[in-house]
Amino acid sequence: MARVESILRIEDVVKKFGEVAALDHCSFNIEPGSITGLIGPNGAGKTTLFNLITGVLRPDSGHIYFKGEEITGKKPHEIARKGVGRTYQIIRIFPKMTLLENLIVVGKGKEKRVIERAMELLSLVKLAEKKDDNASELSFGQQKLLSLAQVLMLDAELVLLDEPAAGINPTLQNELMALIHQLNREGKTFIIVEHDMNVIMGHCGSAIALNYGQKIAEGTCSEIQNDECLLEHYFGR
Amino acid sequence: MKALLSEKNRIWLGIFVLMAFLISIPFFASDYWITLLTLILIFTVYSSGWNVFSGLTGYTNFGLAWSIGLSGYVSSLLIADYGFFWLFAWPVGAIFTGIVSIGVGYILLRIKGVYFAISMVALTEGTRELFGTKYLKTVTHGGIGVPFVAGIGLSTLYWAILVLAFFTIVICYRISFSKFGLRLLTIREDEQAAETLGIHTTREKIIAFILSAFLVGLAGSIHFTYQNYIDPSFAFNIQLTLTPIVMTLFGGVGTVFGPLIGATLFTFIHEILWAELTLLYMAVFGGILMVLILFFPQGLLGWLKERGILPRSRKI
Repeated sequence: MARVESILRIEDVVKKFGEVAALDHCSFNIEPGSITGLIGPNGAGKTTLFNLITGVLRPDSGHIYFKGEEITGKKPHEIARKGVGRTYQIIRIFPKMTLLENLIVVGKGKEKRVIERAMELLSLVKLAEKKDDNASELSFGQQKLLSLAQVLMLDAELVLLDEPAAGINPTLQNELMALIHQLNREGKTFIIVEHDMNVIMGHCGSAIALNYGQKIAEGTCSEIQNDECLLEHYFGR
Repeated sequence: MKALLSEKNRIWLGIFVLMAFLISIPFFASDYWITLLTLILIFTVYSSGWNVFSGLTGYTNFGLAWSIGLSGYVSSLLIADYGFFWLFAWPVGAIFTGIVSIGVGYILLRIKGVYFAISMVALTEGTRELFGTKYLKTVTHGGIGVPFVAGIGLSTLYWAILVLAFFTIVICYRISFSKFGLRLLTIREDEQAAETLGIHTTREKIIAFILSAFLVGLAGSIHFTYQNYIDPSFAFNIQLTLTPIVMTLFGGVGTVFGPLIGATLFTFIHEILWAELTLLYMAVFGGILMVLILFFPQGLLGWLKERGILPRSRKI
């Protein structure tokens, strides 16, 4: 069967917290170069899925493959070094370190090159002037941008963004989404968890909907929008 | 007018003059001063060693006395029972402690926060009991302790700890602005975020823990050679853990020179209070500590950096 190898393949993944199944036999593929929205109500299992992909949690059963290689049960730092980056819903940067340090510490290789790359990325997210400030001094939206720059410093091929647009002003939101499209054109694959359906519909090529840990719909954004089953679950109709 | 020396060269000149002065002290100072400086330097290494692990990673080590006592015991027994020359006994004790620390770190560094702190206290107390039992008496001499003569003069001992303290500070200085140092800081800041950004936090923690145990162990070996005596309650005493922590808090946690400044000021204040207010000194000392922790939680160097009196550089 000749087809493009999926960059990420989730196969029959189950994760239970006690009796509650946060993910219940969930399977899907992500194609390289795509921007996929991950939607679903609170508690649907979106963040759990990110935690499983990045190795923060281990699935009870099922398999996760990145570029054809099984990464199930690997350590978070190993998965990150293979090229999977993520941001967190609650921002998790290194507050008492400078912006430059926040990036340098992620970089690998020659020191001079790492610093150059860190400065490029700070310019890209328009924070170059603040390079010697502590990250804790940034505004909420700027911290989100810094967190994205860290993932780019890691040079991740697959980037998982947990509510990147939440809580930041519309201007910054537009800049952020423009940046995501630019990086996508350069070859990066994105999975975005977002509650704002306008962000999903406006920016993602396809979407996957979860509820109670199960995939309830998958397809292009227009398909999703017209999916009766999903509308019932998600929009309460 | 052009400055005679660049700032960098002035700093080097300052370090050179200070070291020359410190090296020459045994030639003119009394034994009291040499002893006092020896103790300051021993506690500088303890504090710096504590700081390089706990100050950077945020894992509070309440088992510093474990590294001090273990290395002190190994080197003391080598000198007392196996006729080792002190210069060889010291590193053997420290290397032994470093190797045991790999195992201890691997097991205990999975535990976070206060649980790690308590488990290190438990390890220290357990080791103290172990060294005092009658079952190991043939090796450790049990609870009665080990008196010994190492055949080293006070001046030589002072020079030895001076060299160790100098290299300890150089190592801490180099780490402060290295990528290794930054990786240790990310563990303090947010360990899980560091992991998902590709930082092998377990490995970094263990390396820092071993380095700390090795440096502190060397100083511990010198400490007990200086005392010419070791016993379990003396070697694994909680005071040997608490004093360096207080000194580091005093000077500035996570700074390069904080432990040195803390150990120096602490020892002098202690001496003055002891001499002037013999009966009240513990009460006054406790009062000073409370004021410091309440009003200067970031320590002297941290406070000076915050006020902009010193540059906000990791190299200080």
